[in-house]
Amino acid sequence: MSDRAMVGIVLVSHSAALAEGTAELAGQIAGGTVTIATAGGTEDGRIGTSIDKVERALRLADGGAGVVILPDLGSSVLTVRALLSDADDLPDQVAVADAPFVEGAVAATVTAAAGGDVKAVQGAAEEARHARKL
Amino acid sequence: MPENCEASVTLAGDLHARPAGALAVAAAKFSSSVELTVGASRADAKSVLAVMGLGASSGQQVTVRAVGPDAREAVDRLIGILAEATKVGG
Repeated sequence: MSDRAMVGIVLVSHSAALAEGTAELAGQIAGGTVTIATAGGTEDGRIGTSIDKVERALRLADGGAGVVILPDLGSSVLTVRALLSDADDLPDQVAVADAPFVEGAVAATVTAAAGGDVKAVQGAAEEARHARKL
Repeated sequence: MPENCEASVTLAGDLHARPAGALAVAAAKFSSSVELTVGASRADAKSVLAVMGLGASSGQQVTVRAVGPDAREAVDRLIGILAEATKVGG
């Protein structure tokens, strides 16, 4: 299944450092084959979210197999929803995962690396809610 | 005809995040169900978080059990990853 495009991941956080650090971690664990795009902080580098950043990340992450978006908290979700309801010409298959941010990103990226489709990647992220770490 | 296959390996190092990721990526490519057992703990090998949650460490025996049409290939592949990847840690 390596001859097919992989699902891309978009990490939306209030903090650019959190989004980028989570992308780095998930990428390392999953072996570095999945495109993970980040939309962290505001356009001027403050804590917050930016609909334009999310849109750019979404286009960057799409390799033809669709994209799964993981928002961190609160208004990240609202920003993603606003983009998906308003923007034109977005990738065909986009899903938003209701998942813990770090665990969800890791699980989603691993499933994407294994060739899972958008539904499988979203499902892996959402199952992360039930994973015990102790 | 579904196969049922099982093998064990003793870890040469701890099962850190990166080998757990490599294991889950490999496991998810098989259609068989694949389960890891370490002591009394079990995990779905296709779930990286469950694999990390095993907390498997150097010297422990890990059993890989697969059920499905490609069970033998799955067990061979995962035993190979467990033997190799835990040598360098992660």
